[in-house]
Amino acid sequence: MRLSTRVVALCVGLIVSHQAAAAELPQRWVSAGGALSEWVSALGGESKLVGVDTTSQHPDSLKALPSIGYQRQLSAEGILSLRPQMLIGTEEMGPPPVLSQIRSAGVQVELFSAQPDLPALQGNLQHLGKLLGAEDQATQAFLAYQQKLDQQKLRITEAQLKQKSPGVLLLLGHAGGNPMIAGKDTAADWLLQQAGGHNLATHTGYKPFSNESLASLNLEVLVFADRALTGDAARAALFKENPILSSTRAAKDGRVMELDPTLLVGGLGPRLPEALKKLSDGLYLGASDQ
Amino acid sequence: MTTLVKPRTLFIGLSLLCLLAIWLSLALGPVSLPLLDTLRAALRLIGVPIAPDGLEQAELILGQIRLPRTLLGLAVGGVLALSGVAMQGLFRNPLADPGLVGVSSGAALGAAIAIVGGSAFGGLPESFGPYLLSLCAFLGGLGVTALVYRLGRRNGQTNVATMLLAGIALTALAGSAVGLFTYLADDATLRTLTFWNLGSLNGASYSRLWPLLLVTAGVALWLPRRAKALNALLLGESEAGHLGIDVEGLKRELVFCTALGVGAAVAAAGMIGFVGLVVPHLVRLLAGPDHRVLLPASVLAGASLLLFADLVARLALAPAELPIGIVTAFIGAPFFLILLLRRRA
Repeated sequence: MRLSTRVVALCVGLIVSHQAAAAELPQRWVSAGGALSEWVSALGGESKLVGVDTTSQHPDSLKALPSIGYQRQLSAEGILSLRPQMLIGTEEMGPPPVLSQIRSAGVQVELFSAQPDLPALQGNLQHLGKLLGAEDQATQAFLAYQQKLDQQKLRITEAQLKQKSPGVLLLLGHAGGNPMIAGKDTAADWLLQQAGGHNLATHTGYKPFSNESLASLNLEVLVFADRALTGDAARAALFKENPILSSTRAAKDGRVMELDPTLLVGGLGPRLPEALKKLSDGLYLGASDQ
Repeated sequence: MTTLVKPRTLFIGLSLLCLLAIWLSLALGPVSLPLLDTLRAALRLIGVPIAPDGLEQAELILGQIRLPRTLLGLAVGGVLALSGVAMQGLFRNPLADPGLVGVSSGAALGAAIAIVGGSAFGGLPESFGPYLLSLCAFLGGLGVTALVYRLGRRNGQTNVATMLLAGIALTALAGSAVGLFTYLADDATLRTLTFWNLGSLNGASYSRLWPLLLVTAGVALWLPRRAKALNALLLGESEAGHLGIDVEGLKRELVFCTALGVGAAVAAAGMIGFVGLVVPHLVRLLAGPDHRVLLPASVLAGASLLLFADLVARLALAPAELPIGIVTAFIGAPFFLILLLRRRA
């Protein structure tokens, strides 16, 4: 009897406190940012999302939500038609007149950082935690993330003692055709560095590759990110469309890796540490066995 | 040349069509408002004192989002169509469109400089940033057009054929410059550039609207006064001269009005193709080549086409939005083909 009273009291307490919190926190969210949407889901807020932009592709369940278009080309009335209480996005979100229209309609607009670094992520997660009412969870998520990246760094440092950084190129393409090489100042370059690779590309930004310059490089590992195909199909298409690639050292050694191109958009996402580990395992063969 | 409809019927029809387009553009959108609310909010906006209870959202959406957007669509559609008529009249060539004197490619170059250069220089004051793109596009259009006009002049005479060729050359030059900027752009600016090239009425605000409305009103009031001169020009330049028309002055006015009008339209809404080329044809197919009818009718037709296209743009993928440049051709071209085939039959 006493137990059941306690249980009832606990339930009532939970419901009341939940409702009290719910009254203050926005319950209908629209997210315009791939990594942000992913974090919202990771922190258990997916049920609050009523719309996402075209860069929000993970987890798969987000694809079922209404799409508000590309994050830089939002439409005020389109977003308002979802009756959101809050719009979250990075500083890339726009255009500015649309954002001010959305604000003047009484929708809270919260901006996050798209910088691919840990301080920015920490700020973003704290901010998200507050908005979700899951601050502890957000702090833990950040600590776990930081730990994983630290371990990653350690692994790379150890591996580099035994082995020189392998020369890598990252190709970003669509169904194998006309791939672009990721140069300096790109998210892909940052990713390669974190995985301990030496990016052989010297240009900045994503540029189409030239066959001749490719032949002169000592390419040890080739990483490709294809927007349309995955797995063997993408690999086959890549080599079929660009036969020059098959004569590279990486292709002869069979060291061709795949990367999910959605990892390259919109700051640090929750899937990144896992992808980095996989990438560095591929770059430093044998390092993971020891 | 027989006409399908009498000018009077055409004007009545086009006016009704335009009013319908305006009403639909105000009444429809991704947010569904009850018809009564839309009406009451519209009345409140024009100053009729009605109790504002429960109308906040309707008034905001109507006043801050749909009305500026509708006005922008009217102005852009009207002025693009009008410039199309002016260019086809000037070159006496039905294939002429406002792009021919370099105004579109110049504006695209200006926009590319603003989008790619602006992000490279950074550090622009926050309040100035949004206007940089419009300003650069406008100046680019005006600059290249002025150059084309200057190249076409010799001994105080403007040679239309030289101007046309100069326009083609400068368009190609500007195109390759835009290509260079495209190559230099990073991913984000590249997408901005692509979207700008497809045009959009999204995010219209009153502060950006006024310059365009003024220019459009000016051009729309000025050009119809030149209808008779344009009709005379159809006979040929020397014939028009013998009829007492100041042909050089007319050419200058036509080029200037086009540069100003298209420059302002492109600066406000990005590149929107098809309207300037095809709307004059549409009207000509219906009512014949008399510029006294053609000029005002094209304004109405261009404005209506753009508003209908914008309706599709904002409703088709709601809550996302299509660039309007895709839609204008998509709904305009089949309509044009139907008219063409009917006329042939």
